[in-house]
Amino acid sequence: MRRHRKALLNAATHLVLIVTLIAVAFPVYYAIVMGTHTHRDAYAFPPILIPGDQLWQNMLVAWERINLGRLAFNSLFIAIAVSVGKIVLSIMAAFAFTHFKFRGSWLLFPLTMITQMLPLPVRILPAFYLMASFGWLNTYWALTIPYLASTTGIILFRQFFLTVPDELSDAARVDGATPLQYLWNILIPLSLTNIAALFVIEFVYIWNEYLWPLVVTTQADMRVAQIGLRMLYTSERAAAEWNIVMAGLFMIMLPPLVVLILLRKQFAQGIAMQSTK
Amino acid sequence: MRSLRFILMTLLVTMLALGTFASAQQVVDFWHGMTGSRLAVLEQVVDGFNERDPNMQINPVLMGTYEEGLARFLGAYPVGEEPPLIQIYEVGTQAMHDSGMIIPAYQIPEMLGEDWDFGQYVGPIVRYYSRDGNLWSWPFASSTAMLYYNADHFRAAGLDPNAPPTTWDEVHEYGLQLQESGVVRDVIGFGWPDWQFEQQLALHDQPYVDNDNGRAGHATEVMWPTEFTDTLFAKWSAMAEDGVWLYAGTEYSPNSGFTSGTLTMMLQSTSSLDGIMNTVGDDFEVRTAFIPRVDGYPRGNSIIGGNSLYVSNNASEEELRVIFEFFKYLAEPDVDVFWHQNTGYFPATNAALKRLMDEGWFQESPNHLTAFLQILSGRTDNGNVIGSRIGPFVDARDHIRVAMEEASRGADPREVLERAAERINQLLTEYLEFADTQ
Amino acid sequence: MNRFPGHNILPYALIFPTVTVIAVFLVVPFVQAIHMSFFRVSPFGRVRVYTGLRNYAELLRSPEYLQSFLNTMLFCAIVIGVGLGIALFIAVLATQKIRGAAFYQVAFIWTYAMSPAIAGVIWALMFDPSVGIFTALLETMTGFRLNFTTDAVGAFLLVTIASIWIMLGYNICFYIAGLQNVPNELKEAALVDGAGPWKAFWIITFPMLSPTTAFLIFVNTLYAFFMVFGMLDVVTQGGPGQATEFLVYKIYRDGFARLREGQAAAQSVFLFLMVASIAGFQIWTSTRRAVYSR
Repeated sequence: MRRHRKALLNAATHLVLIVTLIAVAFPVYYAIVMGTHTHRDAYAFPPILIPGDQLWQNMLVAWERINLGRLAFNSLFIAIAVSVGKIVLSIMAAFAFTHFKFRGSWLLFPLTMITQMLPLPVRILPAFYLMASFGWLNTYWALTIPYLASTTGIILFRQFFLTVPDELSDAARVDGATPLQYLWNILIPLSLTNIAALFVIEFVYIWNEYLWPLVVTTQADMRVAQIGLRMLYTSERAAAEWNIVMAGLFMIMLPPLVVLILLRKQFAQGIAMQSTK
Repeated sequence: MRSLRFILMTLLVTMLALGTFASAQQVVDFWHGMTGSRLAVLEQVVDGFNERDPNMQINPVLMGTYEEGLARFLGAYPVGEEPPLIQIYEVGTQAMHDSGMIIPAYQIPEMLGEDWDFGQYVGPIVRYYSRDGNLWSWPFASSTAMLYYNADHFRAAGLDPNAPPTTWDEVHEYGLQLQESGVVRDVIGFGWPDWQFEQQLALHDQPYVDNDNGRAGHATEVMWPTEFTDTLFAKWSAMAEDGVWLYAGTEYSPNSGFTSGTLTMMLQSTSSLDGIMNTVGDDFEVRTAFIPRVDGYPRGNSIIGGNSLYVSNNASEEELRVIFEFFKYLAEPDVDVFWHQNTGYFPATNAALKRLMDEGWFQESPNHLTAFLQILSGRTDNGNVIGSRIGPFVDARDHIRVAMEEASRGADPREVLERAAERINQLLTEYLEFADTQ
Repeated sequence: MNRFPGHNILPYALIFPTVTVIAVFLVVPFVQAIHMSFFRVSPFGRVRVYTGLRNYAELLRSPEYLQSFLNTMLFCAIVIGVGLGIALFIAVLATQKIRGAAFYQVAFIWTYAMSPAIAGVIWALMFDPSVGIFTALLETMTGFRLNFTTDAVGAFLLVTIASIWIMLGYNICFYIAGLQNVPNELKEAALVDGAGPWKAFWIITFPMLSPTTAFLIFVNTLYAFFMVFGMLDVVTQGGPGQATEFLVYKIYRDGFARLREGQAAAQSVFLFLMVASIAGFQIWTSTRRAVYSR
């Protein structure tokens, strides 16, 4: 009897989870299906929920209309450059904060505070003028350099480095390794999971960034994919070609999704690490 | 880690290679706000120009809505990132004049040592964009508002499609009949609602602001609420209460309601004409008529909307030359006629207009004629009927929209307009207080 | 701590890039923003007039600003309250001892990869007045026709639902990680003591999750205050009326579209005060959990 009840409960749990999953996934499904139809079918009522065969054509139209090739390249380049840069910088800083006794070590706390308390909107206008004075508007500099500081990364690596036993560094020192050799040859190979986790977090974050790229770029060929989506959506407000918009959206949402799915294990471990801090 | 660095280096090298690709071409960035079906038409027009001389190229860049284009230009100029050529909607006229960022259009031919006959552009456009008798921006895509209606709906409701409503009372009456016969639930929507308010003022020879509607000097205060605006808003409110008028959003958002047949009538820019007819296709018969009026008030005129082209005063001589060639190209009858026939904007030149008449285009497509008849049959002799010029026009429109939205929900018209007037007066005062116009 | 004595310059060199980036791109512009907030800039940027506290005084008296503040707070509260509630519920179910639990634990992650702009457009389709499934369903069930382009409630609802949706993956992930850290013995002990599963959850599990909850409240607040920008800019542009003109969007509009730099700078300072108190609270709670203690 008891067992029976348990099975029933399990079935109910499955049911609720599956229904929720469908509910959460449905909008994306509907959006993509929209992208596979002709304009007329996209407006059919009741809506056609089975994919049509126009996805490729619609994607081509959207691709051309906003010059997505260039925009996707920009987004990809920026996302990779910033992710790598952030990883390098935060490993360096975390290494300093965990392996050395120096008079700057008190800086960790204020730096963390500052980055959390000064998100872009509280400094956006002067930041824009700063870029202008550097001559950085409409360049990759403005789209990458200001992002490079990451206290999330520093804390992530700091925590991990603290768990590495002292014996390792002692042994390296005895063998005559310099600190940087130790970092490069021993510590970094041990940190690959953290590196991958931070890469996912930062790649997704930068690919999805909107406000800063909007402000510091005016030229069409320096735009990023998210702004392209905006132009695609805006350009259709008068005619509302949902099929074209959604075909474009499909392409723009794919890269971070692929990165996340490929590195989901590392990402989950990274999250687990963050949440136990 | 290592492979990532490799990818990064490869990307960097590729980029540098692309960047150093030198050329003798003069490419002029052209910011515009042509959305919907007009986007493709604009691109065709620009392509036609670019095909002529590989060294003279125009690069069209969609900057979002008109409002954004204006804001981005004003923000980009001080940091030197503005384009040499930009399309600005009529709302930005005064701000652009005051900005000190542009070359007035009439000076451009002179600067290049050339002559240009500005008399070739059609009267209403010249009047709207002129200051002291000179054009300050280049005529391009001018429109006005008109009434679009679904003739099939009219027939279904037993109304005569050849007798569209001419007054707001008639719109209301027709609306009730359309509802009773079950054709639609909501009858009419306004595209660019803020603009429709301005149209109504001009259409009845009423001023929006002082100083000859801001055309004799900077506006200092608004000239309403008046008995006229009370009457107008009372009619609109009554229609909203019966569900005849639906406040259907800003800019082009009512278009989808009209094309999908959930609205029978719509006030909208003439520039939507071809987009609408393409979308509707054979689904129903689209017809157009004059903007409805309020009985018993003087006749004014419908005002020009759409946009015109401005040139940054940072443009180099080479850029200016390309731009002037582009302007000449736009004035060619072939180009102008193509532009008009595929968008619904007015043809900008008299030559194009003559060609269209000679070829019988207006008999063939009477919907393209409506706005012309409307604007040519009205008065042209004062600021009220030509249209207002206001520095903080964009912000002022925010308040008008709020007032109309509230009125559509049953708020007291006098109160909402007084509130809007107060806020706009404040804007005007501040604009002059901090103006750097001199 | 000092595993490599004798390297005196190296640690400074290692933190130098990070410190420089933070100083140049975060601290300096913020100080300039404070400075800017005491000035009024002419509409075309050529004249700057010192106006003292006028920008602040006008903000405090501005009904638009108050409205924007209230809308933001309401939005934030709903995103946190409803969003975390749903996430916790799903996380609890997905950590039950059932077959395929591992599948469910990753099956929800993906919304994390959606940008606010993407989510906005997807939900704009769901809410579309003529083809949207959500609007069609709502009309069939209640007879109410929702139009987010004209209807303040509709737009607010769209943005809120899309936001809850987009944060769901992240919230669930953290709750799952948090739940897996709750020792089973404790729960079992409570069950043995005669508490029902429901009661055991509230007296054991939920309190154990409070660090996770505190962290997620912080992250979701940051989302609601800042990250949502892309969604607003693509889909509603703050409208209709002012319904979705949240604080971050108002700063952008006033600073970049309405060209009122001084007023926008003053808003930045206010926004900073709000964020600083939230961030301070978050750091205080996490410090108590001894992150920086070593």
